Order: sequence, then C-alpha cells, then structure tokens
Amino acid sequence: MGAALDAQFGIRPNACKLLKTKLGKLELKTPLAVASGTFDLENFEFFDPACLGAFVCKTITMEPKKGNPPPRLYETDAGLLNSIGLQNSGLDAFIKEKVPIYNKKLTMPLIVSISGASIAEFCAMLERLECCPEISGYEINVSCPNVENEGIAFGREANTVFHLVEALAKLTSKELCIKLSPNVSDISSIAQAAEEAGASSIALINSLYGMAIDYRNGKSFIKKGIAGYTGCGIKPIALALTYKVAQTVKIPILAMGGIYNWRDALEFIWAGASAIALGTANFINPLAAPELIMGLGEFLLAHNKSINELIGKVRT
Amino acid sequence: MIKPQYHQRAIQLREELSDNYFILWIWDETLGAAGKPGQFYEIRAVSAPITTSFAEQTIPKLYKPVSIYDNQGGRIGFMIKKVGPGTVALSRLHAGDTLEIIGPCGNGFPIVIGRRVLLISGGIGYPPLWYLQKEIINHNQIYWMHGGASQGDVFPCDEIWTEDGSIGRKGKVCDGLQAVIDKYKIDTMYSCGPQGLLKAAAEMSIRNNIEHYCSLESYMACGIGVCYGCAVPIGTPENWTYRRVCKDGPVFNAREVRWELL
Repeated sequence: MGAALDAQFGIRPNACKLLKTKLGKLELKTPLAVASGTFDLENFEFFDPACLGAFVCKTITMEPKKGNPPPRLYETDAGLLNSIGLQNSGLDAFIKEKVPIYNKKLTMPLIVSISGASIAEFCAMLERLECCPEISGYEINVSCPNVENEGIAFGREANTVFHLVEALAKLTSKELCIKLSPNVSDISSIAQAAEEAGASSIALINSLYGMAIDYRNGKSFIKKGIAGYTGCGIKPIALALTYKVAQTVKIPILAMGGIYNWRDALEFIWAGASAIALGTANFINPLAAPELIMGLGEFLLAHNKSINELIGKVRT
Repeated sequence: MIKPQYHQRAIQLREELSDNYFILWIWDETLGAAGKPGQFYEIRAVSAPITTSFAEQTIPKLYKPVSIYDNQGGRIGFMIKKVGPGTVALSRLHAGDTLEIIGPCGNGFPIVIGRRVLLISGGIGYPPLWYLQKEIINHNQIYWMHGGASQGDVFPCDEIWTEDGSIGRKGKVCDGLQAVIDKYKIDTMYSCGPQGLLKAAAEMSIRNNIEHYCSLESYMACGIGVCYGCAVPIGTPENWTYRRVCKDGPVFNAREVRWELL
C-alpha cells in the first residue's frame, strides 16, 4: 500500500510523509476520500487505489430503498443536479454481500454511510454494523436532500443532531463522522451539537437544493422537481461553510463540495479541512483522484510543508 | 466481459452524414475485440486538462453515452447527433483530435439465430442497430424500419418513415409496424429510439407475443454503475426495481420495462 503510493511519486517518496493526516480516530495515508454515492469499486479500473486515504460507500438504509423516479440527473452550467433518493438494497444485503467484497478489495479504511428514519433505527443499524470488524468508521448521513422524513429531516435541528449523535456515540468506539447539510440556517450550531454529543469528525457539505426547468415548455428536468446540487458551482459555498465550522469545532472536518483538483483541495485545507473528498469530480474526470494526490504531493514537497501545517491556516 | 476502462484515443476520421449527424472513427484492436452490439462508450472531447480548466475558462463537463455504431477489425465508429452542449463539443472535433472514452459499458443485445427479425429505430436510435444487423445478418432474416422527423434524420434501411413526409412514408414509424409484423411473420424485435417509439413498439410486441429487446437512453453521470442516476423501472407490474441503464442495460427485455412509470 505504502509502496504503491511511493511508486506514484517516483523518486520523491517524501511526499507520502507530508500527505498523512488524521480524521478523528483514523490515521489516513492521504487526505483524500470519496463522497458517498459517487464512487465504488468499479472506479478502481481507472487508477491505483493507493491515492485514497479513506473509502466512503454509498449510503445504506435499514430496508431496501427503491429510490426516486427518473429522470434523476441533469447537468447545469456549473455542476450537477441529482435526485437518486438513496436507492440501495438495505442493511442485510450490504452486510452479507458488499462488506466481504470491500474487505477483500479495499486497502484503505472503509467508512460506511448510513441513513435512518428514527434515532432508534440509526442505533439499530449501527449495532448491526458493529459486528463487522472490517468497518473502520461511520458517516452519519443526516443531510440527504432527496428523501423525506429522514436524511435532512434529522440534520436541521441542533437538538435532534445532539440526541442522535449522543445515542450513536455510546454504541461505537469507531470513527463517528456526522455529515451536515448546507440547507440549514446555522450550520455551526449543528456542528457544535454533534461535537458535544461525541462525534469524532464532521463531514460537510452534502448537496444543496437545486432545480432546472426546460424554458421552452416549463417542464422540470428532474422528476421530483427539487434535486441535490453538487459540483463546481457549490465550491465557494462549501468553502465558506468549512471555514465557518472550522472556527467553531475542534474535531476534524472532512470537506467536500465542488472539489475538482488539487488547488481546490488546498483551499479547503487552508480553510480548516483535515481531509477532503471528491464527489461529482469522479464523474467529470475518472482520474481526478490520482491527479489530485499527485498535485497536492508536489505542492507540499515544493513548500516542504505537511498537510497538518496547513490545516486552518487561512489568512484574511 | 471486460470492465469499462479509461482511454484517450486519437480520432482517425470524421464523417459527415447530414446537418446534425456525424461519425467519429477511432482505431483500437483491443477495444474492438471487446465491444459487442448494443454496448456503448462514455465519450468526451478532450479540451483542456481538468487541472487547467480555470485558466482556460472552461468548466469541465460530464461524458456522453454513445453507442457503438460500427466495430470491425479495430475500427470503431461513434455516430452522434448534435443535441446539447456535450454533443456539440464533440461535433467540433476533427481527425487527429483526442477523444476521452470510458468503456465498453453495459450489456449488448442478446444475439439470435434463425429468426425473422425486425429492427425498428427512430432518429439517433439508428447506430446500435447498424452494428447489430452486421453481426446477425448471416444467420437471420432482417427487416429494418427507421423513422425520423425529416429527411435529415433517416439512414439506409428497408422502410423509411418521416413525420413531415419529406422522404419515405409520411407518419410515425410505428404506424407501419403491425403490417410489417404480419407480412414478414416477425418473431424477434430489436428497437432503439425515442421513448414514445419504444413504448409503442413494446405494446405492439406484447400484443403479438414477439420477443423484443430495446436499448434505452438515459441521462448518465458515471456510466459504470456507481451513481444510480440513469435508473429505470424494470420488472413485473407488481414487483419492479430501478435498474441502471449503464450497467444492467442499456438493453432490456421490452416486456419488463415499466413504461407506465417512465
């Protein structure tokens, strides 16, 4: 694993040292993760997995979920609209079918993203997943904009987030990362509630609300009307929220939202992110991940700085 | 079957068909050996590398799914219609330019032997059936109906329909379907084209109890089965799930597509 990353840097293996980072309880070989639902084992046909510090799987729910009616996608001038609706085959199938494959294929920590319809359901899922030693941590998705009565319904209120995270923190000693929504009035208070309740890291941001309409006939391009908006158009918003939350909490931040390349990644690290994730970029450029790590590594080498020396060091 | 992979290939030849249609040819013997009729590639014009996108003032966009039009001896053709920004960008390419491609993606058409086959296509649904008929022509009787809005949207086949009547018969291609099924005693159908055409053809094939495989089109992000953005309802009326056009399709049994939900 380390050797493979070395190989990517050719004669400059020192870059590997500089790229190391921590996300709560996890030591990551690189600060790069993938955003839930945008990346799976199929992507490893395109590049060497060694550039990824962590792997976040597509969000799973207790019961199988059909997902939203199509059309589910529309590409805007700057970024992508999606309305998948957490389609997945449920917790049982995940544990039985996916976890063994991930265990065999993944060389980096596996973070399982989960969404529930109640605090009790979240807890029941976590308890089941605790039986899989292959799992390194959890991303608690309280921010999906495409499902009703769960997802974002939990992430809007600091109080609800507190009670949820408090209950989950009692059940696990693994990494507990809370994924926040930008579609809230005060993200800092929600991040703070998560931290106080025992979260070990924060992931942000999930998709914004977005919409697109065919001007010729007034028809929404997305069947459900409102969708989740991701990609380069949301980068300034994600960056501002990363900065804002980094000022408020001490636990590390896994930042995402419109990161396409190593320069974007550096902006988020300056703003306070300990790690970053690629989402929409995986669709736009299948080699986005290795290119990002190469670029970031070269930058760190050139300035002889480690990631840790840059986190949150933005100057205003 | 080989899994979709990422490649950059030079365009060997660009062929003009009509105002809105053109063909880009690449040359790759390995990919040629891997591709099957009905499979597709995610393709994109390589403009600036993504890392210089800001400097170049261009916003990198998604790949576009394009089916294999022809594939012989390593010569692979993509027949493309200009419909939106992605395909218009592709239309600006010439021989020598580079194409970014991911593929081959999806499952192809099931291949039959000794049948009376009807191919039915509309507009840009033509290309995958061209490749298919080349593969099955020696072992089946084929009749091909193709329709389009106007004379610029039709290509060589047995029976042409245009909505404006500028060439061939006037009307929708489905208008002539029952007569052809009866006349040629069709027992297998393959279709590709706009949703309305596929749905009408599906109803006709069910009514006549004909085996029917259709290739669906869908907006795609990943093209490799990861994002579930292209999913369509597949199954029985009582028991269906959303399945991915990119990985589980793009070819489905027309009987199993829940057209009423699309």
